[in-house]
Amino acid sequence: MTWVTWRQYRFQGALAAALLAALAVVLLIAGLHAAQVWHSALAGCVRSGSCASLAGSHLSLGSSAVATLVVATSAVPLLPGLFWGAPLVAGELETGTNQFAWTQSITRRHWLAVRAGWLLLGAAVLAGAVSALVTWWSGPSNALHADAFQVNRFDVTYIVPVGYAIFAMALGICAGTLLRRTLPALAVTLAGFAALRALTALWLRLHYMTPVTVYYKLTAPVTPTGSYLAISQGWIGPNGQPPGPGTYTFGNEQVPAVCQSSMNGPHSNPLPCLAAHGYRGYVTYQPASRLWAFQGIETGIFVVLAAILLGVTFWILSRRDA
Amino acid sequence: MTEEGHRVTAVIETSGLTKQYRRVTALSDCTISVPEGRISALVGPNGAGKTTLLRLLTGLTAPTAGRAAVLGGPPRQDPVYLAEIGFLAQEIPLYRRLTAGDHIGIGAHLNPRWDGESVRARLGGLKIPLDRPVGTLSGGQRTQVALALTLAKRPRLLLLDEPLAALDPLARQEFLAALAEAAAGDGLTIVLSSHLIADIERVCDHLILLAASRVQLCGDIETLLAEHRVLVGPRKDTTAIARTHAIVREDTTARQTTLLVKLNGPVIDPAWAVEEPNLEEIVLGYMSQDQAGHEAARLAAIGGDR
Repeated sequence: MTWVTWRQYRFQGALAAALLAALAVVLLIAGLHAAQVWHSALAGCVRSGSCASLAGSHLSLGSSAVATLVVATSAVPLLPGLFWGAPLVAGELETGTNQFAWTQSITRRHWLAVRAGWLLLGAAVLAGAVSALVTWWSGPSNALHADAFQVNRFDVTYIVPVGYAIFAMALGICAGTLLRRTLPALAVTLAGFAALRALTALWLRLHYMTPVTVYYKLTAPVTPTGSYLAISQGWIGPNGQPPGPGTYTFGNEQVPAVCQSSMNGPHSNPLPCLAAHGYRGYVTYQPASRLWAFQGIETGIFVVLAAILLGVTFWILSRRDA
Repeated sequence: MTEEGHRVTAVIETSGLTKQYRRVTALSDCTISVPEGRISALVGPNGAGKTTLLRLLTGLTAPTAGRAAVLGGPPRQDPVYLAEIGFLAQEIPLYRRLTAGDHIGIGAHLNPRWDGESVRARLGGLKIPLDRPVGTLSGGQRTQVALALTLAKRPRLLLLDEPLAALDPLARQEFLAALAEAAAGDGLTIVLSSHLIADIERVCDHLILLAASRVQLCGDIETLLAEHRVLVGPRKDTTAIARTHAIVREDTTARQTTLLVKLNGPVIDPAWAVEEPNLEEIVLGYMSQDQAGHEAARLAAIGGDR
C-alpha cells in the first residue's frame, strides 16, 4: 500500500519539493543578508555604546518583499490539505476508482490509514521545513523587534505550522469523504482552516494561560521584557475603576475630570497629576518565556482536532456505501 | 429452503435483498441462488437494479433489508473475502494517469494470490502497451486491461458489470472465450450483466432476469428453456390456457395469437402449435411483461381510455 501511495503521489511530491527548494534559496539569501546587517549594526552600537536605541532605529534587515513572502508562508500548511487531502477520497469517488481500489484484498480502513498516514507525514514535513527556514530567517528580526510572539510571526515559526498542516490535511480528507466531491471539499477546507486560524490567532491564543498583569507608577512606565504578547494596557483608578469619562485624551486614554486642568497648555502632561490622585498604569500580557508553551498548546489543539476529524473519516468510510 | 437432493453449493444465495436510496428502490426483495461453477447472465432493462445487485454482492454497498451470502458469508470489508471476489465496474475505473504496468504493481501489492504474469501475457497478446497511461488507451483496451487485472486476483467469484459494452464484436468474442476458459478451470463462478443476449447465450449457463428492481427469473438456462413454450394458435380465448399454465406474454394479431407460457404440465389443446423458445424470446417475454404492467398501471392512474 505504501508503494501504491508513492506511485500515485510521486509527481505531487516532486512538485512540492521543487517549490520548497525555491523558497529555501530565497530565504537563505535574504536570511544571510539580514544576519550580516544585524551583526554589523550590533558591532557598531557596541562600539558607540548606543545599543539601547537600536530597536527604535529604522534599521532595514532586508527587502520588504521577503517579509511579505514570509507572511504568505502562513498559507503553506493549508496547501497539502487542499490539494492532496480534499481529493483523497472525493477524487476516487468522482472517477469511480474507489470501486477498483476497494475491491482489492484490502479493507477501506487499511487503504485510508496508509494513504492518510503518508499524506499527513508529507504535509507535516513540508510545513516543518518551511517553518524551520522561516524561524532561522526571523532570528535577526526577532532580536531587533522582539516580535516572535506577534501574529504573523508566531504563526509561521517553530512548531505551530506543523500542527496547522496536520489539521488542514485531516480537514481536507474528512470534507472530501463527507461531501464526496472535490470542489465543495476544497471550499470547506479553505473556509474551515481560515476560520479556525483566525479564531485562535486573534482571540483564543490570548487565553491559553492566565495572563500576567503588572501595575506601575504612571511617572515610571514599565514595559515587559522580550517578545511578550500584549493583551491590554492602560490606566486604572485608585479604587480599580477605569479612567474617564473625560473631555481630553492622552495617548489612547481618556483623562479623568480630576486632572482635566493639567491638559491646558501646549506641553500638557496629565501623568504627574494622575499619579498624585492614585492612578496607576497596568499592562496585561503573556510573557516571552511562555512562547514555547504557547507553541505547544496551539499545536496540540490543532492536532487533537485533526485526530477527531480523522476518526470521523474512518467511521464514515467504513460504514457508508462506497 | 433448499430442496433435498438438489443440494449444490451455492456461491451466491440471497433472500429478500433490498436496497433503497432516498426515494428510489433500486432493488426489491431479491432472492436468487447461483451454484458454483456457473456463468450467470444478469439481464434486465436499464435501471432494473443490475448494478445495485452486483455492488451489494461485492460489499461496496450495504443492503437496506434482506441478506446475502456470498461464498458462505455476508459480503464484507475483510481482506480474505475481498481476495475471493473480482469486480469489474461498469465505468471501467482505472487510474487514468497510471500505466497498465503501474496497475499490475498495485495489484501485486494489494492481493495475496496475484498473477501479474497472466496480465502481461494477455495484454501482450492483445498488443496493449503496458507503459502508457491507461487514460490514453481506447475504451476497448481499457476494458481488456481492467478484466485482465480482475482475473489476476484469481478470484473464486467474478462479478462483471456490462463488460461487453465497450468492446467491438471481435474483442467481445475473445473476451467471452477468455471467460469461458477461466471458468472451465478451477470452480470459478461468474456473474456478468449484459444487454447482448446473443453473446450471453454462447457462454452462459445460468440466468438472472431483473426488471423493475425485482427478480423475474433465476435459474439454469437449460431448465428455463425446458420450462417455457411458445404457443401459436388461432385468435381465441386464452383463459383455458391460463388456468393451467402461466402466460408470460401474449401477442395477438387479427388472425392468430402467440403466447409465451411457463408450462405446468403438457399442453393438451390441439388448437395450439407448441414450439421451443430461444433464450431471447424468454428474456424479452419477461421484460415486456414488466413493461405491460407499467403501462397498465399508468393507464389506470390516468383513468385511461386509450
